[in-house]
Amino acid sequence: MLKLTNISTSYGKVRVLREVSLEVAENEIVALVGANGAGKSTMLNTISGIVNPTSGSIEFLGKRIDGMPPYDVLELGISQVPEGGKPFPDMTVRENLEMGAYSKKARKFMGESLERVFKTFPILKERGKQLARTLSGGQRQMLAMGRCLMSRPRLAMFDEPSYGLAPVVVGELFTFVQELRNQGIAILLVEQNIRHALETADRGYVLENGQIVLEGSSRDLLSNDHVRKAYLGI
Amino acid sequence: MFDYLTFGLLAQLFINGILFGTMYGLAAIGLSLIFGTMRIIFLSQGAVIILMAYCCYWLFTLFKIDPYLSIPIIGLAAMVLGAGIYQGLFRRAVKMEDKNITLLIAVGLMFLIENLMAVMWTPNPRSISTGYTSSSIPVGGLAISFTRLMGFVMAMLSTAGVTLFLKRTLVGKAVRAASEDIEAARLVGISPHWVNTIAFAIGIGLCGIAGIALSTTYPFDPYFGFIFSLKAMIALALGGLGSVFGALLGGIILGTLESWSSFFISGGWADAVSYGVFLLVLLFKPEGLLVRSVKKV
Repeated sequence: MLKLTNISTSYGKVRVLREVSLEVAENEIVALVGANGAGKSTMLNTISGIVNPTSGSIEFLGKRIDGMPPYDVLELGISQVPEGGKPFPDMTVRENLEMGAYSKKARKFMGESLERVFKTFPILKERGKQLARTLSGGQRQMLAMGRCLMSRPRLAMFDEPSYGLAPVVVGELFTFVQELRNQGIAILLVEQNIRHALETADRGYVLENGQIVLEGSSRDLLSNDHVRKAYLGI
Repeated sequence: MFDYLTFGLLAQLFINGILFGTMYGLAAIGLSLIFGTMRIIFLSQGAVIILMAYCCYWLFTLFKIDPYLSIPIIGLAAMVLGAGIYQGLFRRAVKMEDKNITLLIAVGLMFLIENLMAVMWTPNPRSISTGYTSSSIPVGGLAISFTRLMGFVMAMLSTAGVTLFLKRTLVGKAVRAASEDIEAARLVGISPHWVNTIAFAIGIGLCGIAGIALSTTYPFDPYFGFIFSLKAMIALALGGLGSVFGALLGGIILGTLESWSSFFISGGWADAVSYGVFLLVLLFKPEGLLVRSVKKV
């Protein structure tokens, strides 16, 4: 459903992504792994329309989306959870979720989406009136995922959901990722926590210095020599 | 030696201060919205208030429209003007890294408005005189000027209106979201230009209300605006950024302070006291007196 072909992105004169090609199919969990600074977040921002690629094309459900503004990309069904979740700190949990349904398409389903999110993350219902800044790290990440769900995405992109969280919480978050897939949402998962990401995903891509150096099924990647040496320390 | 200090006198000073302070507060709310969403220090705020005061003056002298009846006309015109100022002057500059550019535009706009007003209405002070201008309402031995009281009521109602808009409507929440985290706001589908236009429309709309309140209570001249902008900024520093009610309260505190210091020290010292307080606040509690936690800007 999502297809990047030879995408290059630059910040000024610095080329961050070089001719990257990547695909995500319906109902698939795809992991994009790599070290800090490899260009993973830039890739998500390029898909979201926050930055525009200098060359290449992005297609989503058969439509060219490169060069579209973020609100149009969102309207088509791609929603990103940025690194750290970035909830709006001085708004309540509920208001944060309402903001998730800001897009025209999602606005009509606000009540229904809220119920669905509360079912997936009961803690958010409990904390509904609290300011987002009072939540723990894990809860913030759940809030961000909930906000993403409110837009009723076809494809959800998570930028390092495990960053800075305790291992127990990370495990819990990854089960949520599985659950979202069961609800029919395709997922592009960006992670530095490579073992966890690949264990959750069906397929994976390894990004190094802005280029895809490896791709394949998660199992193949986990047993690949380069991945084991460079990322898993085995 | 303080024989003349009666309770009545102190209370009268206090009330005058509050009533004048609400006008600073209105200007401060506008500044806070515009700074919150766009990080623009909109120095021309005061000049726009004076411009609105002149519009009210014109409607009154040329068309015999009572200042309070001109509230919807001027309010609406000011909101359209605000949207126009954003689309015409700031839309492109707001994206630039260098925030000095927006500041320069704001200063340029201020000089432009000031001098246009001087050309159109001459630099002589003007004031509106209606049948009720000098009437006052006696409350427990105190005399409360009718026009100032109206100014206070208008300020309270518009503050409440803005607060409700920001808290209850989806668009209002989007304005808050954008001022908290513009990146995240873009990711949930909020268009920065739309939110910025709304923030400007409301900010300048409040200038309209403040302009009417000013024109009915005090004489004004084209160059009074800059001081007004500075006072609004002090009110904002007192109240802390990001809180609509805090900005209003900051204005009221400043107004009271000025009213007392001009009586107890002398009129010329009122400004010195307010700038002194401004410095002290910046030195010791830069996040604002009324803000509980430190906010990132």
